[in-house]
Amino acid sequence: MTMHDAPGPTSSALYDVATDAFRRWRAGDDAALDELVTVMSPVLWHVVRACGLDKEAAEDVVQNTWLTLVKGADSVRDAQAITRWLCTAARREAWRVSKASTRTRPVEDEVLDARMPLQTSPEAQVVTNDENSLLWAALGRLPERCQKLLRIVAWEPRPDYSSVAEGLQMPVGSIGPTRRRCLDKLRVELGGAS
Amino acid sequence: MKLSDDQLLEAVARLYAAYDPAPDDLADGVLARLAVEDLEDEWEQLTLVERVDLAAGVRSADDAVTEGDDSTVALEFAGTSYRVLVRISTVDGHRRIDGWVVPAVPMKIFLGPPGDALSHTRQSIESDEDGRFEFSAPHSGEARLWLLPQTSDQSDDSAAPPFVTPPFLI
Repeated sequence: MTMHDAPGPTSSALYDVATDAFRRWRAGDDAALDELVTVMSPVLWHVVRACGLDKEAAEDVVQNTWLTLVKGADSVRDAQAITRWLCTAARREAWRVSKASTRTRPVEDEVLDARMPLQTSPEAQVVTNDENSLLWAALGRLPERCQKLLRIVAWEPRPDYSSVAEGLQMPVGSIGPTRRRCLDKLRVELGGAS
Repeated sequence: MKLSDDQLLEAVARLYAAYDPAPDDLADGVLARLAVEDLEDEWEQLTLVERVDLAAGVRSADDAVTEGDDSTVALEFAGTSYRVLVRISTVDGHRRIDGWVVPAVPMKIFLGPPGDALSHTRQSIESDEDGRFEFSAPHSGEARLWLLPQTSDQSDDSAAPPFVTPPFLI
């Protein structure tokens, strides 16, 4: 529904909007930063949540990512690379926080809960169509690593593989093949369910 | 149906957008946080008006309390427009901070070490309607509270300047 109003996650329109806003902000237009934050924060949310952070920690990481950008915008040499820069910075920070907090926080439970299509939760009520519940169930049957990787590449079509590999503890070279395998597995799961 | 990789990923993205949507106020929170950093030099500094060490286990004599382990400290800060009461307590080895802001205005509140421009340890929270807030797992050591009143649409912006407490020890 809202997906039709806003540029879709993988649509290039979103990246054009972000690049344009970043350029204008760097040229001195302060309001353009608000635009950039509004457009990219939801994307960063999914990038960070894919790393297994709980909602509160995810929000903090998203905020810190923007702080890092504001303090170090000079390090973004190419305006076209702004989305990738943001996503990579967010992911690196998210993995770091995730690693540091797994000892003290029951992150895994929350991740599992988030994966269950609970009919009582407000989020789940939003989703009533069969296609989504089938897909949700199919995703749930994939290995956790596949779920994380697919969520990452769904939201960020061309992620920085080295930061993905680091977090998923996989060799960089195997991300591409794993992505393909996970998509095939998902297709099989979807086929079996219909 | 046979979906292409792109179609499948598009569907996965839509699915997560529906099942685990970004909070509505995510971008607002970011902008508030950026405003905090921006205003770092323009903060009204509150002053500490009172500090009270409340002895442990006063109210419940039945609890076996190790001296110096469970303790509560109450701090009161004041500025031109607001007063902030902070209670730092340790119960069963768990430290927590409860606070109240008077008058009660919705606030974004940040807790972190003093002087760190870009903190990975700074925590944020929002006060409720009564001006109450809490940090259930604060880091120990020196800290400050940054308070950023959330101006509502009808009030004029100048009414609510951001303010910061002096450093205190958790």
